[in-house]
Amino acid sequence: MEESLLRVKEIGKHFGGLWAVNRASLDVARGSITALVGPNGSGKTTLFNVIFGLHKPDEGRVYFNGERIDHLAPHQVYAKGIVHAFQIPRLFYRLTVLDNMLLAARGHKGDGLLNSVVFRQGWQAQERELADKALELLNLLELDHLTLSPAGELSGGQRKLLEIGRALMAAPVLLLLDEPAAGVNPNLGRKIFERIELFRQRGLSFFIIEHRLEILFDFADWVYVMDRGKIAIEGKPEEVAKDSTFYKVYLGD
Amino acid sequence: MGLFVYSLDIIVFIGIFAIVALSLNLEYGFTGLGNFGKVAFFLAGAYTYAILMERTGIPFYLALIMAMLVSAGIGYLVSLPALRLREDYLAIVTLAIGEVLRLVVKTEDSIAHGVWGITVPPAIHWSGMSVLEMRMVNIGLVYFCLILCFIFFQLMTRSPYGRVLRAIREDEVAAEALGKNRVKYKAQVFMLGSALAGLGGGLYAQYMQYINPYMFLPMVTFTVWIMVIVGGPANNWGVLLGAGLVILFERGARIIKDYLLLPIDPINLQYILFGVLVIFLLAYRPQGLLKERQLETKAIEGVQKWKNRSSE
Amino acid sequence: MGVNWAQVLFNSAVTGSLYLIAAVGLTLTYGLSGFPNFAYAEFMTLGAYMGYFVVRQLGFDVYFAFIAAFLACGILGALAYRGVFRFLANRGANKIHLMVGSIALGFVIRYIIGDIWGWPATTFGIRWPGFDIGPLRVTDLWLALIFTALVLAVIMHLLLTRTKTGKAIRGISSNPELALASGINIERVTLVTWAGGAALAGIAGLFWGAIASLSPLLGWAMILPVFAVTILGGIGSFYGVLAAAFIIGLAENIGVVALTQLGLSTEYRMAIAFIILIVTLILRPQGLAKAFRRT
Repeated sequence: MEESLLRVKEIGKHFGGLWAVNRASLDVARGSITALVGPNGSGKTTLFNVIFGLHKPDEGRVYFNGERIDHLAPHQVYAKGIVHAFQIPRLFYRLTVLDNMLLAARGHKGDGLLNSVVFRQGWQAQERELADKALELLNLLELDHLTLSPAGELSGGQRKLLEIGRALMAAPVLLLLDEPAAGVNPNLGRKIFERIELFRQRGLSFFIIEHRLEILFDFADWVYVMDRGKIAIEGKPEEVAKDSTFYKVYLGD
Repeated sequence: MGLFVYSLDIIVFIGIFAIVALSLNLEYGFTGLGNFGKVAFFLAGAYTYAILMERTGIPFYLALIMAMLVSAGIGYLVSLPALRLREDYLAIVTLAIGEVLRLVVKTEDSIAHGVWGITVPPAIHWSGMSVLEMRMVNIGLVYFCLILCFIFFQLMTRSPYGRVLRAIREDEVAAEALGKNRVKYKAQVFMLGSALAGLGGGLYAQYMQYINPYMFLPMVTFTVWIMVIVGGPANNWGVLLGAGLVILFERGARIIKDYLLLPIDPINLQYILFGVLVIFLLAYRPQGLLKERQLETKAIEGVQKWKNRSSE
Repeated sequence: MGVNWAQVLFNSAVTGSLYLIAAVGLTLTYGLSGFPNFAYAEFMTLGAYMGYFVVRQLGFDVYFAFIAAFLACGILGALAYRGVFRFLANRGANKIHLMVGSIALGFVIRYIIGDIWGWPATTFGIRWPGFDIGPLRVTDLWLALIFTALVLAVIMHLLLTRTKTGKAIRGISSNPELALASGINIERVTLVTWAGGAALAGIAGLFWGAIASLSPLLGWAMILPVFAVTILGGIGSFYGVLAAAFIIGLAENIGVVALTQLGLSTEYRMAIAFIILIVTLILRPQGLAKAFRRT
C-alpha cells in the first residue's frame, strides 16, 4: 500500500457499557478512495465521529499526516484538512444554498469580528472569488439554478448533493463521506461517485461509508468491513466480495 | 408638564431600550442564544455607571465605557460554564444571574445604598437647565449611541461574520464541522451583547438620575424579549420597530391607568396581553413583523454574473 | 453562641422537603418535554393563593386549602401543556421558543394573580405555635411538610417502579423512540406528568406561603433553588432530585449559619443555590442522575 494519510490505531469508544467501536485500526492511503462498510450498528458512524472530533475516543489514537488529532475539536480537525459530510445532511436550512457553500470556505477573512466591522475592504475581493468557486462547484453538482434559494427548499437528493458540495468547498485533503449515495436514485448515486472519482484524480483522498455496494465496489480502492465495533476483513473490493465471512457479517449468522 | 415634553421622555426610553433589544437580537435573533437574564447586564451597566459617577470625578463617557466593560466581563464569566452545554442551561444560568446580581445590590448597602437606591449626577448640566433642555440633551446622547450601535450591528450581521452566527444558530455542530469555533463565536457574541446591554443600562441610569434594585426586575428582560419577538428576530430594523411599539404600548397603559377606571389595572392587563401576544406570535408568526432578510454581500454580484453567462 | 446542629439538620430536612415537592414535577416534565418550564414558578404561586383564597376568603379549614391547591394547579398544568406547549410544539416551536413561551405564560399567570389578590405580601393569618422535641424547636406545619415529602417519595418510588405509567415516564425521558416502539401512550403519560407535577408545585407553594408569606412573586423567588435542585439531580431523574433536594437544603442551612458567623446577610441564602448550580454545570452537567440510574 501507498503512504498512509490517516491512521486509526486501536480506537475504542463506548456509550454506557456498550463498546460501539472496539479497538479498530485502519489506514487511509493518500489519494485513495477507501471504503468502510458493515451492517447497521457496527460502529461506522461512531468511528467517523471520533475521527472528525465530535466524540473523544476512550482508547487509541488517530493520526493525520503523522500528527495526532484525536484530542482535537471538530473545527481544529477541519483546520488540519479533514472535512466530514453527514449521513443525514445537516444544512443551514434558513440560509441560501450559496451561503451554505460560502460557510465551508477555508480562511475567509470576513469570518473575524474585527474584519467584519472595521477592515471591510480586506475581504470583499475574497468574497467574490469564493462565490465564483462556489458557483463552479454548484454547477458541477447541478445545483447552480438554486443558488439563492434557502437550503430548506431543496429536495432530499439535492440536500445530499449540497452536503457533499459544501465539504468540497472546504478544500479538504481528506473527505469523510457518510453514505453519500443513500436515499438518492441509483443514477444519481452513480453520478455522485463519478464526481468523487473526478476529485480523486485532482488529488483529494476519500474515506467513505456506503451501503450501496454495487456502486461503491466499482470505485473503491480498498475496503474495510466493520462488524460489532471491530474491523473484520479488509482488502481490495473484488477480494472482499469473494470472502465468505463478508456475507456472514452482512447477512448475519 | 406639556405633552411635548412627555413625548420626549418616551423617545429617550425607546432609544435606550432599542440598544438593549439590538443586543438581544444579536444573541438570540442571529446566534440563537437564549439569554433570559438580559436585566443582569442592564443592571451591571447601570450600577457601574451610577457608582463611578457618584464616587469618582471621571467624565461620563469614560463611565459609560466602564459600564460596557464591566457588563462584558460579567457576560464572559457567565458564558464560561454555559456556552459549552445545551441551550437550556444558558437560559437557566442567565436567568439566575439576573436574580443574584439584584440580590447583591439590594443586600450590600456599601455598594450602592441597597434598597435606598443611588443618585446619579447628570452627565451634562448647566445652571438653570430646564426639563425640556435636559431631555433634549439625553435624546442627543442616547440616539448618538443608538446610531453607532445600529451601524455596528448592521455591518457585523451583514458580513461573513454574521453568516457564521446564523449558521451556528441553525446547526452548531455542522458549523463546527466546517471549521467554525462555536464556543469562541458564542463567547464573542455574548460579551458584545452584554456590553451593549451595559451601555443601555448606563444611559438609563444617566437619564433617570436615580436607580434602585426594584428597577431591575425580571420584567425588564421580558420586555426586551417582546421587542425582539414582535419586531422580528435577526432583523435589526424590525427590532427598532419592536422597541418603539412596546414602549408606546407600555406608556399607553400608564396613561389609561391615570384617566380611565377599568375593572382591571391596565398595567397588569398590559403584561397579561404581552404574554398572550408572545405565545400567539411564537405560534403564528415567529419571524415577527419584519422578516429576516437574506445576506447580501459581494457574493451576490458573482451570482448575477453567472446567471447572465449561463443564459447567454 | 453555639450552633444547635440538630436544629440545623432538622431545618435542612424542612427545606429539602419543600424543594423535593417543588422540583419533582419540574424535573419530570423537563425530561419528558425537553425544555425547562419557567412558568413553574407561577404554578407554585397559584398554589399559595389557592390556600389564601380557601383559608382567608372562604374561611375554610387549611386541609381544604391543600385539596384546592392540588386540583387548581393540576388543572392549570394540564391546560398549560395542552393549550400552550403542545400547541407551540405542534406548530414547530424550537426549544428556545418553548422557553420563551413558558416565561410568557408565567407573566400571564403572575399578573392575573397580582390583579386578583394585589401585589403587597400577605399571610394566611394562621399561627403555627412551636414546641420542643428534645433539642428541636418544631411546628406542626414543618412536621406536616416533612411527612408529605416522605409520603411523596414513597408513592413516587412505587409509581416509577411498579406501574406501567411510571416505567413509561422513565422510559420516555431516556429513550423516546424505544418508548414509542413499545406501545406506550406518550401523549397520555406526558399529560398526566404535567398535571401531577403542577399539582405538587401548588402544594409546595402552599407550604411556603404558610411558612413565610405570600406575594405574586413567591414562585419566582423560589425558582432558583428549584432549578438548582433539578440540575444537580440530573434532568428527568426522580432519585436524583430526591438526593439533590436534601443536599441543597443542607447546604443552604449550613450556609445560613456560616453567613451569620461571617457577619453577612442571610439574604445570600439564595446565592448558595446559585453557586451549586454553577459548580454542577462546570463539574458534572449531567447531574447526579447517573449515580441513581436503574433500569
